[in-house]
Amino acid sequence: MAILTIDGNELEVADGTLILVAAQDQGISIPTFCYQERLTPLASCRMCLIEIEGQKKLQPACATPVADGMTVRTDTSLVAQTRESMLEMLLANHPLDCPICDKAGECELQDQVFAYGAGESRFRDEKRVFRTEDVLLNPVIVFNANRCIQCQRCVRICDEVVGAVALGTIEKGMDTEVTGFENSLAGCDHCGNCIEVCPVGALMSAPYRYKARPWDLTETDTVCHYCGTGCQLTVGMRDGHLARVRSKYETGVNGETLCVKGRFGFDIIDSKHRIRQPMVRRNGNLVAVSWEDAVGYLVERVRGAVEEGGARIGGLASPRLSNETLYLFQKLMRSVFRTNSIDSSSRWASSGPAAPGLYEALPAMFDGLYARRPLQDVLEADCILVVGSNVTDDNPVTDYLVRGAVRKRRNKLFIVSARPSRLDAEGAGFLRLLPGGEAGLFAALLDGLVEDAATEKSLPTACPDGDAQETDRTETAVPATPAWQEFLAGAIPALAAARTVTVLIGTDLLRAQEAAAALRWLRKLGRVLETLGKRVGVQFLFDRPNQMGAWELGGLPNMLPGWRPVDDGQSRAVFEQAWGTSLPSEPGADFGRMLAQCEAGEMEVLYVLGSDPILSYPDGALVESALSKVGLLVVQDAYLSETAGLADVVLPAANFVEEPGTFTNNEGKVQRGREIRPPAFEAMRNVEIFGSIASALGRDLGPTAAEQVFAEITRLVPSYRGLGFEAFDGAGAFTVPTENAAQDDPDDPPVPTPRESRGFALVTGDCMFHSGYLSRHSAILETLSAEPYVEMSPRDGRQLGLSEQASVIVRSRHGEARARLRFNKRFPDGVVFVPENFADLRLNRLLKQGEYPCQVEILKA
Amino acid sequence: MFDKVLLKNAEIPNAHGIGAYEAAGGYRALATVLHEYSPDELIQLVKDSNLRGRGGAGFPTGVKWGFVPKDPALEKYLCCNADESEPGTFKDRVIMEKDPHQMIEGMVIGAYAIGAQKAYIYIRGEYVLSIERTEAALKEAYRKGYLGERILGTDFNLEMFVHCGAGAYICGEETALLESVEGRRAQPKLKPPFPVVEGLYGCPTVINNVETLACLPHIVQRGAEWFRGIGPERSPGPKLYCLSGHVRKPGLYELPMGISLRELVEDHGGGPRSGGRIKAVIPGGVSAPMIPESGLDVAMDFDSLAAIDTMLGSAGVIVLDETACVVRVAKRITEFFNHESCGKCTPCREGLDWAVKILRRLEDGRGKHEDLDQLERLCGSIFGNSFCALGDGAAWALSAALKHFRDEFVRHIEDGRCPFH
Ligand SMILES: Cc1cc2nc3c(=O)[nH]c(=O)nc-3n(C[C@H](O)[C@H](O)[C@H](O)COP(=O)(O)O)c2cc1C
Ligand code: SF4
Ligand code: SF4
Ligand code: SF4
Ligand code: SF4
Ligand code: FES
Repeated sequence: MAILTIDGNELEVADGTLILVAAQDQGISIPTFCYQERLTPLASCRMCLIEIEGQKKLQPACATPVADGMTVRTDTSLVAQTRESMLEMLLANHPLDCPICDKAGECELQDQVFAYGAGESRFRDEKRVFRTEDVLLNPVIVFNANRCIQCQRCVRICDEVVGAVALGTIEKGMDTEVTGFENSLAGCDHCGNCIEVCPVGALMSAPYRYKARPWDLTETDTVCHYCGTGCQLTVGMRDGHLARVRSKYETGVNGETLCVKGRFGFDIIDSKHRIRQPMVRRNGNLVAVSWEDAVGYLVERVRGAVEEGGARIGGLASPRLSNETLYLFQKLMRSVFRTNSIDSSSRWASSGPAAPGLYEALPAMFDGLYARRPLQDVLEADCILVVGSNVTDDNPVTDYLVRGAVRKRRNKLFIVSARPSRLDAEGAGFLRLLPGGEAGLFAALLDGLVEDAATEKSLPTACPDGDAQETDRTETAVPATPAWQEFLAGAIPALAAARTVTVLIGTDLLRAQEAAAALRWLRKLGRVLETLGKRVGVQFLFDRPNQMGAWELGGLPNMLPGWRPVDDGQSRAVFEQAWGTSLPSEPGADFGRMLAQCEAGEMEVLYVLGSDPILSYPDGALVESALSKVGLLVVQDAYLSETAGLADVVLPAANFVEEPGTFTNNEGKVQRGREIRPPAFEAMRNVEIFGSIASALGRDLGPTAAEQVFAEITRLVPSYRGLGFEAFDGAGAFTVPTENAAQDDPDDPPVPTPRESRGFALVTGDCMFHSGYLSRHSAILETLSAEPYVEMSPRDGRQLGLSEQASVIVRSRHGEARARLRFNKRFPDGVVFVPENFADLRLNRLLKQGEYPCQVEILKA
Repeated sequence: MFDKVLLKNAEIPNAHGIGAYEAAGGYRALATVLHEYSPDELIQLVKDSNLRGRGGAGFPTGVKWGFVPKDPALEKYLCCNADESEPGTFKDRVIMEKDPHQMIEGMVIGAYAIGAQKAYIYIRGEYVLSIERTEAALKEAYRKGYLGERILGTDFNLEMFVHCGAGAYICGEETALLESVEGRRAQPKLKPPFPVVEGLYGCPTVINNVETLACLPHIVQRGAEWFRGIGPERSPGPKLYCLSGHVRKPGLYELPMGISLRELVEDHGGGPRSGGRIKAVIPGGVSAPMIPESGLDVAMDFDSLAAIDTMLGSAGVIVLDETACVVRVAKRITEFFNHESCGKCTPCREGLDWAVKILRRLEDGRGKHEDLDQLERLCGSIFGNSFCALGDGAAWALSAALKHFRDEFVRHIEDGRCPFH
């Protein structure tokens, strides 16, 4: 600790604290331009110069740490005069075209001149002008170099946080200009973080350009709707329509950053592809009806199936919906429709008959092992293992945070994924591994650790499996490639030396049919690490904003809310008492089994909530045929989906800015999504639709207002106990681990043998610009990334005689798709990636349950 | 008559080859160092000599070396600053062109002292002949076993590389130089960490000027006391003075530190051109504030010049006679700094550009009286507030011109034209 005085106030702060921060804590604000908390200090703008007793020159508060006994003055006339002259110099060549500048009103230069500037300018020469027309650097970024004050915040955020290194500076002195290669940012991430950090109107958002003055906007803080990182963002509306999305300085998990999906994909709220009114299929056609008629029709068809016991009813909900919607949906299904056939993800085939056990393996992931802590904290671990994710594409802001943590703390990062990502470069090691191989990896790591601990003699006797037979097993199951060996040689000692370990699990792993085995091995690895005295934290890297909430609140066929097994009488009793009804006791069907049931003609009612399985279920042939055999297909959604095209009843729901609700992000943090405007057209809030269906069936679902539903959740779900709906302003609130921790596996789970592979292994997932199939409703994201592509290594491409951009056919045993080739020289041989985001491609027609990664051939089109 | 030390070989035609250098006793100091000195003893020797850096700031070389962490696990680097771009300065160039082995031997000695196994010579890109001669000399030194592995049969290894600049003056600033070697945009970096702790590629790095390094073989061979005995005790040694401008005999002079500026200009340089009278002298390259004629009785060493608000800098001595227009000189110098400003910090980037605009108007006779106040105000805002010494030096030099020759500025305003042209 250091004791110092600032403007006469004595204070004690931690060593290494910047004077700027120490002063801020005292309520003394020091103006800055180039400083940003998460960027490396530059100390170039000289706005923050202050006096330190005994120093000849003024010192930058943003880069000078405190020292014991230091006397700082920020309130002298010299300091004031210096601020004034820095501003005078910055304004000398500034165009002062504030009346037509998008930034005016929230411009740091304006604000600082207002606070510290002189009343007049003495500059009377000609101003420097780079150019008179602004440059469109890419479809979302407009640049006005004349307004730039050279703080280099944009350049640093793009390099240090985003990792794209797309921006740089050219020329020098007064001619210094920030720009991309060849004065373009066409190839960058389009994340707009450079726009966000720009203190002036130099880098500007093209979609927002000239749309509004900042003071015309109605701004609401809410949570991003695209992925499980759960970024906080601020939606600015004008006249009921979206004007822009921004993020606030050091707010939320994301700080001031967002990714392209979050920042530019929110125009989806004004998408034309809305379902406008209720519809019912009559004589083969969907016709618009009143809500009353639609609900009446639905209830009439559902009643029989309910009366016969609910076994022929199933429900699929999207993990993008709020906790309240998902909770009430499963309550409706269980207590009114009397079925446990509930699922909350159609996008991976690791449920269903071909891949048993995933949902049984899940509960064990969400007890104490799950790190329900801020990602920032979790990333302080000595060793970080990322498995089964291209974080850069799936959860871009998580990628930023990992990069920041690793660069700052130099902790050991290991990445295991099918395809390369930008994070590979930050890591101490990476391994290219196809989905399905993770169990073998965890087993090998575990063996290595056990062996290491045995030689170190530090492994306590309590270790679940310390004997030598483990080693034999991995030797047979594990490919002894040099890359694999090299990875283990780096990762095992790092894990052994670490005091804290973080494992981040991506959704690639969950797509493979071996997911259950992988999770069971991970659990075992976690336990061994804990036995070795390490603090272990696991978090999922979900590609959807509320997969965690969906699972925790009963969006599973085998689990009631709070990871309470359906087939456990005591667990059921809790809800039977609370809901005042008996509940079905048999676990229901997961979505894969529901489809099998449909296919067999045994599904009377399938209720699809916000999901589009026709596009997303990785078995295109099955889902198409199965859905056509359902008695009554109900689709409730805000947006037109392919599945809605097959539905018998279509119910228009509010979109995520039209209803309040909470979301549980990957950190296990509950955040509030806010109602920004009333539901458009004839849409109704999801929860209200459930309420009206229940009452039409003569049942009471209880209160449906979001606050009340959340209150019910906090009463019944231990992890959410004590959280208050109102407490979510700003920071959100963390859930706590479940109490009914699952039993540890008594036996070793199997290590799946790697499958024979012929041809190419096709893997899929999100590309950087899209999130599932939803983001195609965003006009901006569609312009940024409209074309599907096939990514592979140039070596493979050359061997096939194909050149970049060639049109190719990807053919599996089940179907084919056509797209352009994209080379990536870091791509592993024998693997191709096709993003799942392009509806027209119907990529799921190539896939089949139990066959992921899918074997394909690549042919010239 | 002062016996030349650094320029001893330079006088001999074609002495840049290793044969001539060895014949004159070259590389013997290196042998002595490697066989008789521990690195610590060598650092002590240099400390005892009171050698101060010839790159401009005059920092004691032995002290700088002493800051290098001793941890043998850390890789260390030595960089020779041969970017010599300060207008009026041409001393390092003469060493490299005429006697490059003197610099190389000094570098091997320096690298041994700090435990570096890799060394870079950062040479100004326009110095084509210096680059050629240095590269040729490196080859010779490798061949003769003065560089490479197991130098002179000892355990000491050293690799040495030439890195050419691409034309920016700021590359001479030590942290910008390191950025440039690493392949980045040359801009000064925050200190601390200082390069001796965290320099090239994050490793401890010593940066020394060519002339500083060239002194080392002589200190080793003739002793610290000998060196300290030349010139003022706290700022001693042989010194290269680059004399240019309105003098009869411009050129590079090797004389003791602390010689009087008047003696240098009038005796050695032969005084002003015929019929002329000296108006002012810039003593240490254009960053150094000019001294009016009345102040020439000052000793040319770091401390004496600092005491009269100017500096020895790079010892680029530029003489202005009565025909020189100080406004034009000030404008030209400020234009140079404005052009060479790296653009990183506000005061230097914006302030110098503003100053140039005013100075151009003043020189053309379009200035106003308030412009002079504004120039002074700008100098005050830049000086002490800029990120590196470039901005400071520019403002410092300009304010000296304003201070000593304000009447000339005023005449430009009042006459509405330049009285000299
Ligand atoms: C703008 C600027 C330019 C400089 N240019 C040079 C140069 O060309 N050569 C040089 O040796 N030192 C130059 N220096 C000084 C170096 O930063 C550094 O102090 C010096 O090389 C250290 O060597 P020394 O200790 O041997 O003097 C410059 C400094 C500044 C601020
Ligand atoms: S949009 Fe993102 S990637 Fe592109 S230049 Fe800006 S910060 Fe960099
Ligand atoms: S464009 Fe904006 S953020 Fe970038 S350097 Fe200029 S003012 Fe700073
Ligand atoms: S990282 Fe995820 S939550 Fe954050 S802005 Fe992007 S899509 Fe939204
Ligand atoms: S003083 Fe000039 S050269 Fe030095 S950092 Fe600032 S702008 Fe660059
Ligand atoms: S904020 Fe400190 S120098 Fe820019």
